[in-house]
Amino acid sequence: MTFDAVLDRVAERMSRAAAQRTSRRSLLARLGATLVGATLLPLLPVDRSGRLKRARAEEFAKTAQTTDPTQCNYWRYCAADGYMCSCCGGGPSTCPPGSHPSPSSWVGTCINPDDGQAYLIAYRDCCGKDSCGQCACLSTEGEMPVYRPQLNNDIVWCFGAPNMVYHCSSAALIGKA
Amino acid sequence: MLLPAAAPAGLELSSLLSRPGGTGPGAEIGEEKMVRRAGLLVGTILVGLAWGAAGAAAQERGTEGLPSEAVLEVTEEHTTAVLPEMGPHWVFVLDPVFPHLIAAKVYILDGDSLRYLGMLNTGYVPNMAISPDHRTIYSAETYYSRGTRGKRTDIVAYYDARTLEPVAETVLPEGRFLVVPKKPNLALTPDGRYLLSYNMAPGTSVSVVDVVARRYVTDIEVPGCGLVFPTGNTSFSMLCPDGSFVHVRFDSAGNAEVRPGAPFFDPEEDPVFEHGVVSHRDRRAFFVSYEGLVYEAEVSDAGLRIAGKWSLLGEEDRAENWRPGGWQLLAYHAASDRLFVLMHRGGKWTHKQAGEEVWVFDANSHERVARVPLEHHAISVSVSQDDAPLLFTLSEEASLSVFDATSFEPRGTVEGLGDSPFLLYVADE
Repeated sequence: MTFDAVLDRVAERMSRAAAQRTSRRSLLARLGATLVGATLLPLLPVDRSGRLKRARAEEFAKTAQTTDPTQCNYWRYCAADGYMCSCCGGGPSTCPPGSHPSPSSWVGTCINPDDGQAYLIAYRDCCGKDSCGQCACLSTEGEMPVYRPQLNNDIVWCFGAPNMVYHCSSAALIGKA
Repeated sequence: MLLPAAAPAGLELSSLLSRPGGTGPGAEIGEEKMVRRAGLLVGTILVGLAWGAAGAAAQERGTEGLPSEAVLEVTEEHTTAVLPEMGPHWVFVLDPVFPHLIAAKVYILDGDSLRYLGMLNTGYVPNMAISPDHRTIYSAETYYSRGTRGKRTDIVAYYDARTLEPVAETVLPEGRFLVVPKKPNLALTPDGRYLLSYNMAPGTSVSVVDVVARRYVTDIEVPGCGLVFPTGNTSFSMLCPDGSFVHVRFDSAGNAEVRPGAPFFDPEEDPVFEHGVVSHRDRRAFFVSYEGLVYEAEVSDAGLRIAGKWSLLGEEDRAENWRPGGWQLLAYHAASDRLFVLMHRGGKWTHKQAGEEVWVFDANSHERVARVPLEHHAISVSVSQDDAPLLFTLSEEASLSVFDATSFEPRGTVEGLGDSPFLLYVADE
C-alpha cells in the first residue's frame, strides 16, 4: 500500500470514528425549554448541580487536566458533547470566526482539579456554519432520550442563534458552583 | 471524453492538433493555447464520428453470416435507470453525513444482491417514510437558501420510488425537530394519508401533512412531550418526560383532542429508548428501557395502552453486564412475532454503545430464540417484513451486514456505506 493510500485510510477512519461518536452535540438544553416556547428566549441558565451531578463531576475530574482545551479530558468538558470549538478556531468561551453562540445554554458543574473547586459551566453551541468536524468529544453519562430534551445530547441546540446549523460546542465559565 | 487509443486509418490527428490557425512564433501563448484547445475539441468530435463510421463499416464486413445476437451494438443511448417495483428486501439507509450535516443522503440497497440501487439527497438532519403502496418515499428535510445561511425552509419532499426524482413538496411552516435523525420523528398513519412530523422549536408540537392532498393541515401543540407514534388513521401517542404517553386524536380540519396518560416507567432511573416499534398489522407496540425492560402496548385509536412488562435479561445475562444499546436498537417482525434487540456488555450510561449481538425474542413467550454474534458491532438493526425475512445491521464503521432472519446465517456485508449512516428503513414496517 502506498503512503498516500495509508494516509487516506487513516484519515477516513478518523473521520468515520469522529462522525459516529458524535452522536450529536451538546445540547443540553435548558430545563423547561419545551414548555416555554421560543419567545421567552434567552432563558437564564439553569443550575442543575446536585449530589448526583457532583459525583459524576468528581469522576470526570479524576482524569481531567486544565491546560489543553483541545483534549476531551479538559476539565470544563465534564458534560460536553460535540465538536469542541477550541479545535475549530475558537476557545472554551469563544465561537470560531463567523459563527454565533446560542443565547440559550445548559449549565453543568465541573470540578477544577487544580483547586478542587466546583464551577458553573455554560455549554453553548456555536451556530451558523456546518459542523467543524474536529475534536469530537462525547459523554453519555446521565444522557436521556429526547423526550427529556434538557438532558439529551443529540439535539441541535441553536435556538435563538441566527440560524440552526450546528458548528461546534463551547464551555464557558460563568461562576462558582 | 476519451480519445480512442488508436485512431482509425485515414485521420491525421496530429494535423488537427497542430493547426495553429495562422499563429506565428511571436503570437501570444494564451491565444495559441486557446486555438489548440479548439482544435483538440474539433479533433475529438471528428475522431468520434470517424471512429463510429469506420467501426460500423468494419462490423458490416466482419459479421457476415453471424447470428444477430452475436453482433455487439457499437452505438448506444445514454439512459437513466428506473427502478422496478420496491422489493421487500430493499433497505433504505439514512446517513446524516457527519460532519457535513447539511448534505444528508439516503442510500437504497437490495438486501439480496447487496447492490446499490440508488440514492436520495435529503438536506439537513432528515427523516423519511415509505408509502403503503410503495410508490412514494417521503422525506422531511430542512434547507437554508445559501447552504448554511439565508432563509430556512422545512419541507416534506415526495420522491417517486421508481425514478427517485422529487415530484412534489409541502412546506412545513412551523419547522421540524432538528436532531441527529431518529425514526420516531416522522411517521405515517397506517392508511398512508397523514404524515406526522415531530417539531420542537423549542415549544413541542406535531405537524400534520395530508400527503394524499399534498397539503399542510396544522401543528398540534402537545406541550413537553416528544416523538410521534401513530396509533390509528387519525391518532397518535407521544412520550412524555414523566414516563407516560400522551394520546392525541385529530380530524381533517386539524382539530385535536389531547389526553394525558399515566406514567408507566421511571424516567429518572430507567427511561425507555426513543426507538420503540409500532406494528399496525399486529396492533401491538414495544418499547425497551435502558436496563432491558420491555414494555408492550396495545395499539388502538385510543392510543398506546401498556399491556405488559418483561425483561430481556436473565440472571446470568445481568451478571455478565449485558444490556440493550445503540441507536435504532429494536426491530419487530410482525409475521413471526419476533423482536430483535442490539445487546452489548457494559455499565450504566453505555446506552449508545454498539451491539455485540442481536438477541432474538419470541414476543409472546418472551423466550430468547437466538443470539446472533456481530462481527461488525452495530448501532442499528432492522428486519424485512416478508415471509423470508432478512435481518440488517448497521455498524459504526459504516458497514451494512445482512443475515437470514430465520436461520441467522450471514448473507454478506457492504463496507464503506456512506460516511456516518444511522438509520435503516424497510417497506411495510
